[in-house]
Amino acid sequence: MKKLSYLLIFVFGIGLSATAFAQDDLSPERKQAVDSLAMEKVRDLSKYISIIGNKETPWSEANRVIDRAEELFMQGSEIGVSSLVRAEVSYYGVRKYLERLMRLNYSKVEISWYNIEYVSDLQKQPDGTYVGVITIFQKFKGYDKEGKLIYQDTTKKDITVYVKRKETQIGGRLIGFWDVLLGDIRVKETSK
Amino acid sequence: MNQTLKIFSRLLLVSLVFTLVLGSTTSCTSKKKLAKEKAEALATEMNRAKRDLNNIIDGETTWTLDQQAEKVAAIKAKNWDNADVDQLIEKAEETISRKRAEAERLAEEERLRREEEARLRANQSEFAVIDNQLGAIAGASSVDEANRQINTALNQFATPDIPVLIIISQAGGFNDYDRPTTITKFLNYLKDKKQYKYKVESVKRDGLGKITEMELIVK
Repeated sequence: MKKLSYLLIFVFGIGLSATAFAQDDLSPERKQAVDSLAMEKVRDLSKYISIIGNKETPWSEANRVIDRAEELFMQGSEIGVSSLVRAEVSYYGVRKYLERLMRLNYSKVEISWYNIEYVSDLQKQPDGTYVGVITIFQKFKGYDKEGKLIYQDTTKKDITVYVKRKETQIGGRLIGFWDVLLGDIRVKETSK
Repeated sequence: MNQTLKIFSRLLLVSLVFTLVLGSTTSCTSKKKLAKEKAEALATEMNRAKRDLNNIIDGETTWTLDQQAEKVAAIKAKNWDNADVDQLIEKAEETISRKRAEAERLAEEERLRREEEARLRANQSEFAVIDNQLGAIAGASSVDEANRQINTALNQFATPDIPVLIIISQAGGFNDYDRPTTITKFLNYLKDKKQYKYKVESVKRDGLGKITEMELIVK
């Protein structure tokens, strides 16, 4: 009887381990899906920054998008701002950066991100969080009232990405999901 | 004269006896022949029965299962009183019974498959309407137009905060999801991204037919 109990505990243990393995250790297909998800969040931020910076975006819409953009980041994250006329890079909290972006002193602003790619693949950390770095190139153009281009630069930025598996109850079901959060955005180089 | 009569009588008696003896011999031969013929006919019939039973057991017949069952019943009704035939009948009945169960299982599987197909068709048609609406929000020509479409779409949902789950991958019998969001946030997301690259996977509705939960999958 005792032996049977040990056997049952062993089998049950293996079952639990297998489930945990299925949840935490990613097959290449699942890893690819998570990579894509993280990349998509960076593209979402790119879109939000473009909308917020656009002077034609209604104020209410810009504020709504600032809220959405802020939700993409980990608490306390900072975004670097550089300029061709300044040597140093300034870092702002996410909300402050986005609000400054909305109020930039240009009549028209165009911001686009391109060459978005991983420079460091998502790697599993001891606490189970996957951490990676995505690099982007940002093209900024500012115009005056006459529509004349008065400032432009291209900045290479590195975005740290954190991905963690979490669970939540929805409609009585336990849903396992991948929570992607962006960390600091560091300026790597700025050029004309 | 008397002598002649005596001789005639004796001859008559002898011929009578001869006729009787001859007649009885011929009749006996005929009965044996009939019995032999009958035995041969029975043997032929039994052989045919055995062949039919073996064909049923080996599945080498074009008869339907009902026809096979009728055939076995007919053979059984003959009461052959033969151990080989009885054994073959038992095997044939088992074979028919097994094939009937298999046919019923296949028929049930086919019925379930058709039901599932019909359900999927119904869902696809239902979901296609939602997919089109979501696609229209993403493809709206202006923010105002997108907002109008969002307001129209929201009428289908029980509340503006119903959960929207987005499946990013399906493997090993379970789904990987993106962080759950709400329908209002998701519709605005489509407006911002100007792109709908999902497909409705399932919806849950309340008693009024309003959607209370929606699951999408990344295409």
